[in-house]
Amino acid sequence: MTTSATKLQPADTELLRQMRSGAADAFAALYRRHQGPLYRFALLRCGSGATAADVVQEAFMGLLTGRFAFDPLRGQLSSFLFGVARNLILQHETPRRRDAALPGAIDDEDDAPELPSDEAGPLARVLHNEAAEDVRRALALLAPHYRDAVILYEMHDLSYAEIADICQVDIGTVRSRLSRGRAALAKRLAAHA
Amino acid sequence: MDIHNHDHDHQRDHQRDPLFDALRAEMATLDAPRGVEKELMQAFARQFPRKRHWWEALSPRWALAGSLASVAVAVLAFALTVVRPLAGDRHPPLVTHDGGGLFIALDSLERIDSEPNPRLVETEVPRTALAPLGVPLTPENAGQKVKAEMLVAADGQPLALRLSAAY
Repeated sequence: MTTSATKLQPADTELLRQMRSGAADAFAALYRRHQGPLYRFALLRCGSGATAADVVQEAFMGLLTGRFAFDPLRGQLSSFLFGVARNLILQHETPRRRDAALPGAIDDEDDAPELPSDEAGPLARVLHNEAAEDVRRALALLAPHYRDAVILYEMHDLSYAEIADICQVDIGTVRSRLSRGRAALAKRLAAHA
Repeated sequence: MDIHNHDHDHQRDHQRDPLFDALRAEMATLDAPRGVEKELMQAFARQFPRKRHWWEALSPRWALAGSLASVAVAVLAFALTVVRPLAGDRHPPLVTHDGGGLFIALDSLERIDSEPNPRLVETEVPRTALAPLGVPLTPENAGQKVKAEMLVAADGQPLALRLSAAY
């Protein structure tokens, strides 16, 4: 039943076409289709419900106004939106990152400064499961570029290629970040066990 | 990078780390706050301003009435050509001639009949807007308006429109 229901839904590209010709219901359908995953990604990535909501709003606003131009030939809309959201989060983090950087700090793959998420509280409040909260807390302490890969792979079921496209890195880097991110996560969880 | 070239690593659903199962389940139903959609739809309305319909020029209170009337107009165009010959049909007609005037039901006849406190409001409708309904339109009278009465429910919802006999 789910499969047949899914087949009846218009494709993103068709909804985009209708949206650009002024169909509000097409824009609403696109939003309702993608807002959930995008919000959850942003929420886990930055830890703040308010920032995550802003990111979702700005991403769709950009899609609406053409500030963020989606090219269907380059991939799926969902991946495009994840990429937009990630860039918006990075912009949001830039002032904090600048403030947190120590003189002489090395920002390479292994020793990037690990910025904890800005507001763990809001998300923590919605997680009632202790195991879920433990993982969320450990995720929040991962370096942002590891966090991206782990969240997109484990929580959103994206492929290495899709994550590489979203994060604008090559697939080898995604594999490396995922592997190191998982190892760091396991280490932190073991330390708290 | 063309992500249509899916790599083989995507055949790995079974490889998802069970460590994340609880977090996946907890977050599965989290959605963006409803206010976000509201803001976006308002932005959409600004981006694509809706073309004003003729009834919106009457007064703001007729905007809702006009929306419903537009549906009725589409039905009416069909009714004038098809439904009228079927007057003996068991379905109640949406459009009838009422004392020489034209009565257009904007809601079901059951709803109109059951309305406890309906009120009648007078208005004028451009003749050009009524042409699809069969109202005579000539170059001489194209700029005229036709007097109409709107039957409105107690909650303000328009129920029916009646054009005067002189239309």
